[in-house]
Amino acid sequence: MTSLAPRSQPHLAASHDLTTAPARRGTTPPRHWGRRLYLAANITILVFLLMPIAIVIVFALNPTPFIQFPPVGVSLRWFEKFFVSRDFMHALAFSLEVAALTTAAATVLGASAALAIARGNLPGSRLIVATMLSPLMLPAILTGLALFQSYVLLDVGRPLWGLVAGHTLVAIPYVVRTTLAVLHNFDVRLEEAAQNLGASPTRTFFEVTLPLVKPGVMAGAIFAFIVSFDQFPVSLFLVAPGNETLPITLFNYLKFDLDGTIGAASVVSILLAFIVVIALDRTVGLRSYVKL
Amino acid sequence: MPGASAPRVNSLALLILPSALLFALFFFLPIGLMAVMSVLTGNPVVMPNVAVTAKHYARIGNDSYYLEVIWTTIRIGLWTTLAALLIGYPLAHWMARIKSRTGHALLLMAVLAPMLTGIVVRTFAWMTLLSDKGVVNQLLTSLGLITKPLQLMYNETGIIIGLVHIYVPFMVLTLTGVIGRIDERLEQAAENLGASPWRAFLEVTLPLSLPGILAGSLLVFALAISAYVTPILLGGFQIMTLPILIYQQISANFNIGFAAALGMVLLAISLLLVIAYNHMLGLVSGQRELQ
Repeated sequence: MTSLAPRSQPHLAASHDLTTAPARRGTTPPRHWGRRLYLAANITILVFLLMPIAIVIVFALNPTPFIQFPPVGVSLRWFEKFFVSRDFMHALAFSLEVAALTTAAATVLGASAALAIARGNLPGSRLIVATMLSPLMLPAILTGLALFQSYVLLDVGRPLWGLVAGHTLVAIPYVVRTTLAVLHNFDVRLEEAAQNLGASPTRTFFEVTLPLVKPGVMAGAIFAFIVSFDQFPVSLFLVAPGNETLPITLFNYLKFDLDGTIGAASVVSILLAFIVVIALDRTVGLRSYVKL
Repeated sequence: MPGASAPRVNSLALLILPSALLFALFFFLPIGLMAVMSVLTGNPVVMPNVAVTAKHYARIGNDSYYLEVIWTTIRIGLWTTLAALLIGYPLAHWMARIKSRTGHALLLMAVLAPMLTGIVVRTFAWMTLLSDKGVVNQLLTSLGLITKPLQLMYNETGIIIGLVHIYVPFMVLTLTGVIGRIDERLEQAAENLGASPWRAFLEVTLPLSLPGILAGSLLVFALAISAYVTPILLGGFQIMTLPILIYQQISANFNIGFAAALGMVLLAISLLLVIAYNHMLGLVSGQRELQ
C-alpha cells in the first residue's frame, strides 16, 4: 500500500523522461540492443499466444477435412455441419443453460459472501476468504470426483442441480474476488453520509452500497459465466450421458474425428468469448480488472 | 449513530450463511466422504459388511507403475510452471510498464483472448499445429528443413507446450499485478547510481516481484497437475497422469475406493504446495520488512 503504480499517475512526466532518455554515459548501444531483444522476445510470446486461435479459424474455413497448409480455399461447410448437428446444438443449449444457472447462483452467493466479509465484522475473515477462494487452488478434477462419489453414495443419479452445484463452487471465487476488490476501494463514508441524511439501513444498502458494488459483481458474473461455459473437469464426472455440455461433446468428438467441425465449433465459442470480453470492457473496463 | 451501526453490521454477516451452506454440503462433506471412501473396502451403501482398509494406499505405494504416474504428473507440472514463468515474465513486465493505454489494452486482449477460448478448443488447436501432418511439420517440410515429420505430440513435450499455452495467461495476470505495484522509480534510482538496466532489473525488480513469481507458479503448477484434456489428447493416451488415471478408475473399472485414494494423493500434493507457498511467502515478505 505504500507505493502506487507510477502508471496511475500520468502527470509524473519526470519518470517518463528518465526511462526514454538515453543513458548519460556511453551505454546507448547495448541498451538499445537490450531493448530490441526485449521487444523481440515479447512479440514471439504474443505470436505463441495468438497463433493457435488463428490456426483454428483457418482450419474452420478450410474446405478439406484434414489440415492443409497453406489453405486451398474458403468454405462454410463445417459451420453448416456444426449448426445442423443435433448433438452439438443440444450440447450448446445445455451448456448455456448450466452457465446461466451457475452465473445466477455464484453471483448471488459470492456477492453476499463478499458483503458479509467486508461489512459484517466476521471473526476470522481472512480464513473465510481463503476458504472461499480454495476451489481455485484445489484441482477442479477433485471437486468433480468428490461430488461424483457423494452423489453415488446418496444414489441421486446425475441431476442438473448436482452439476450446477459443482460449477458454482469453481465459479464463486471469481465473484468473491472481484466484489471484495470493489468493496475494499469503497468509501464507507458514503454509506454513513446517506444514513446521516436519514436513509434507513435497507435504503442505504439498495441505493448506495449496491450501485457502487455493481461493477465488481458484474465482472464476477461474467467470469462465472466463462468459467462455467468452459468448465471441463467438474463436468467430466457430473454430466449424464446424452445430456452433455459443449466442452465434453467437443472432447468426445476430438477423440475420434479431427475435421473442420471442431474448428467451426471453436470459432463459435471464440466469438462468444469475444462478445463476453467486449461486455466486460463495456461494464467495468478491462484495465480495472487487472488492477483487482 | 455509532450504537445504531453495530446491529446493521451483524445482520450483514448473516449473508455468509448461504455460501457457508454450499461449501459445507458440496465441498467439505464430499471431500470428507472421499477421504472415508479411500480407506473402505467397498461402497457402504450397497455392501453390508464394509471394513476399514489401507489396501488402496498400499497398492499405490507398492506398485512402481503408480509411483511413476505420480512422478510423471509432477514432472509435467514442474516443466510447465518453469516454461510458463520464463514466457510469462517478459510479457507481464511489458504489460506492467507500457505507457500507452491502447498498447496496454491490446496486450491485455492478447492475453485474455486465449484464456477465454476454452481448454478443449486450444488443445485442438495444438493438435492441428503439432501432429505429424500438422502445420508445423508441413511448414518445415515445404521449407526443406526436414524430410521426416518431427514427433511433436504424443509425448511429454507436446503436453507441456499445450499446458504452457493454456496456463501462461494466469501467470501473466498474476505477475502484472505485482510488477505494476513495484515503484518504477526504484529501478531508475538504481540506474542513476550506475547500474545497467539489466542489473537494475536483477537486483531491484526481480527480487521485489518474488511474491508474484511464487503466486503465479503455485497457481500454474496446481492447474497443470490437475489437467485432464490436454494430457490425454496431446499425449495421445500414451502418457498416464494422475487425473487420467483417476478418471480411468471411475469410468473403466468403477473402482471408487481406489480413485478416492488417488484423489487423496493429488489433494495431499496440492495442500503441501499451498503450505510451502505460505511458508515461502512469509520468508519473502519477512525479509522485505527487515530491509
